[in-house]
Amino acid sequence: MTADGVAIRLDQVTKTFPGASGPAVGGLDLTVPEGGITVLVGPSGCGKTTTLKMINRLIEPSGGRLEVLGTEIHELPVHELRRQIGYVIQQIGLFPHKTIAENIATVPRLLGWDKARTRARVEELTELVGLDPEHLPRYPTSLSGGQQQRVGVARALAADPPILLMDEPYSAVDPIVRGRLQDELLALQSAVHKTIVVVTHDIDEAIKLGDQIVILEVGGVLEQVGPPEEVLRAPANDFVAGFLGQERGLKRLGLLTVGDAELVEGPVVAVGAAADEARAVMAEHGVDWVGVRDQRRLLGWVAAETLNGSTIGPTDLRAFAATVTPEATLREALDVIVGARSRVAMVQDDEKGYLGMVTIDQIAGGLEA
Amino acid sequence: MILGADKDSFLWWAWVEDHYDDIWAATVEHLQLTAIAIGVGIALSVPLAAVALRFRRTYGPIAGVAGILYAIPSLALFAILFPITGLTVLTAEIGLVGYTLLILIRNIVAGVEGVPAAVKEAADGMGYRPLRRFLTVDLRLATPAIIAGVRIASVTTVGLVTVTFVIGFGGYGGLINDGLSRNFNTPVVVGAGLSILLALAIDLILIIFERVMTPWNRVAR
Amino acid sequence: MDALNEFWSFVTTAENYWGQRGIVIRVWDHLRLAGFSVLVASALALPPAIWLGHRKRGGVVAVWLVNIGRAVPSFAIIVLIFPIAMRYGFGLGFWPTAFALVLLGIPPIFTNAFTGVRDVDAGIVEAARGMGMQEREVLANVEIPAALPLIITGLRVSAVQVVATATLGAYVGFGGLGAFIVEGFAIQDDGKLLTGAILVALMSLVVELVFGWTQRRLTPWAQQGVLANRGTMVDASMRDVEPLPA
Repeated sequence: MTADGVAIRLDQVTKTFPGASGPAVGGLDLTVPEGGITVLVGPSGCGKTTTLKMINRLIEPSGGRLEVLGTEIHELPVHELRRQIGYVIQQIGLFPHKTIAENIATVPRLLGWDKARTRARVEELTELVGLDPEHLPRYPTSLSGGQQQRVGVARALAADPPILLMDEPYSAVDPIVRGRLQDELLALQSAVHKTIVVVTHDIDEAIKLGDQIVILEVGGVLEQVGPPEEVLRAPANDFVAGFLGQERGLKRLGLLTVGDAELVEGPVVAVGAAADEARAVMAEHGVDWVGVRDQRRLLGWVAAETLNGSTIGPTDLRAFAATVTPEATLREALDVIVGARSRVAMVQDDEKGYLGMVTIDQIAGGLEA
Repeated sequence: MILGADKDSFLWWAWVEDHYDDIWAATVEHLQLTAIAIGVGIALSVPLAAVALRFRRTYGPIAGVAGILYAIPSLALFAILFPITGLTVLTAEIGLVGYTLLILIRNIVAGVEGVPAAVKEAADGMGYRPLRRFLTVDLRLATPAIIAGVRIASVTTVGLVTVTFVIGFGGYGGLINDGLSRNFNTPVVVGAGLSILLALAIDLILIIFERVMTPWNRVAR
Repeated sequence: MDALNEFWSFVTTAENYWGQRGIVIRVWDHLRLAGFSVLVASALALPPAIWLGHRKRGGVVAVWLVNIGRAVPSFAIIVLIFPIAMRYGFGLGFWPTAFALVLLGIPPIFTNAFTGVRDVDAGIVEAARGMGMQEREVLANVEIPAALPLIITGLRVSAVQVVATATLGAYVGFGGLGAFIVEGFAIQDDGKLLTGAILVALMSLVVELVFGWTQRRLTPWAQQGVLANRGTMVDASMRDVEPLPA
């Protein structure tokens, strides 16, 4: 939609509140790319919410230049600017005097859409956000927090704005519902590809949701910008490292999947193979066991000392304790390996087809790489 | 014309000087009627509120009856009572007390409900029996809301006492009616003015009383 | 219950209904006066109250109005207006009483509307602005509808108060149902007395009920749902601005 793929551009944007000793946001430079989720995260007072609200001019910048979709925000009437931007707030703010359907239809009605078109859009959105249509004629007080949140998102997307701003959207719901709503947002985004800017104080939420995370310090100081994986791998300074938390290595592992790693072939023989062949494979890999497969399927393993007789039969086998699928994150793989007191995990697809092996050393390497 | 030297002005000071006794008597009567009404009102409202708090379903009917009493114009209420109880203090007080009930009950209930549940639970946990907890914890902490109710009820009652002139009392209302029937402004102004002053004075006293009773609300700055 | 018998015989005598001093005309006069006064009070009080509430200014005015309105005995107002009206040639009865009733009716309407609009949840106002509503759209689509329960409460409180105080108007020459009471006291006619009293009591109750019904019809959302049945028993629509019994 834009020429350069930049949805929002902040150029030395500043905000100083009257009577304050310093600027809430001091000269922030930032670009928000189109079509992705950008998360603004930082401690209290870092200006993340102030920055967000300057985008739709709920707070007027004191200085600098702010462009939305290529247009400076003061070049058009403020209500026209806002009608292009969906806005979701922490308290949700559903109009109590309107039904759910009427709430969602607010901006379309403001824009003068006819009833049929509005109704179709409301139904479409209800499905998109995962809301039960039987709530539509009801009033907001009869919905739970999580459901109200979904309505808030639907309402913000009603007129199909290219940009969505979300201010701590999930702080007011409990952790279980929050996780679900975050997953729903990601699923929604893969369907609609909006430019979304989210403000949160929760670093894990930022890592989970963001295509790009922006870490701010008090005063709107930009400490680091980048994809979560990169920020976790290489924090720009001590502040960022501290903010990311002690387990940042593990968090990073949570972003990489087993499928991303290069799987090792692993010591595996076919069932019915000779014991000598098995020992040779063991020696080759430097281990004291072999995995046994039947065609593609992995059946189990056998230890060196239990090898007797000439061939390996199906009854000699023990089941693997540590197996993962390629979709599993490296963090989950680590969890499985440690839990099984093993050093490797066997990677299988859904039909138990053997794909390879991932070792604890590889994962440890991932921590450092 | 306003503050003047003749009968037609609004405040003929000479009349006031001549009638200090009457004014004083009206004041006493007004105070008595008000005090009895508030006293009896509180005495009735506390148990009624307690019942409503304990048995939630009763709140509706209790508030409903109090509300009906409240909605009936005072003149009408006194008129209805008069054939039954005559030109007596009882008639006046039944009416006056009736008007205090709705406000007092509602404020006591709201005040007690506003006490944090954690405090009530802690008290129960310490072994307070229900009645004792209600009297010493709930009511004490609900004091601001209750006094707010008493203030409203008092100010309202002071105004209503003036209407009791129809059954022979009236306090300052007597002065007002006197002026009305003789087409004479000064007693009306005096009566009305003193009534307002009395209401405001009682309000002020209650505000001070509330400060004294709730030391925990005084925040050091 | 002698008095009741007299009341009964009074209301069942047909000729008491008609004529200048009949029941019908007095009921009508009473309603007319009250209705007119409430309308004028609303016209005077609602616009500034809503505007100030929207701008979140002037809370002091609201508090002050309530206190004055409460402290001044309604009887006094009516009586005081009377000589002023006489001096300036407004005549007896309707106009002075209406003037006094308008003054009395303003505080509850003003305060409830002001508080209602001012205290609308900041979150929904922010959401409304954020989605691109202009100020007047925010006021019309969000603040006023959300404040409607309190606005109607203010009207209800005012109406009941005005109906009640209108009875005192009989003392300054206005008719209405108060006239029955005044005459009843004067000539010791219990029947007339009770007729006036019971009829005006009924009228007050009917007004109260009609407004309550209207409020439920116009704001169904304030009753429904999870929150409406939990929490405190003292429901949100009964705030501390109550009618003055008159």
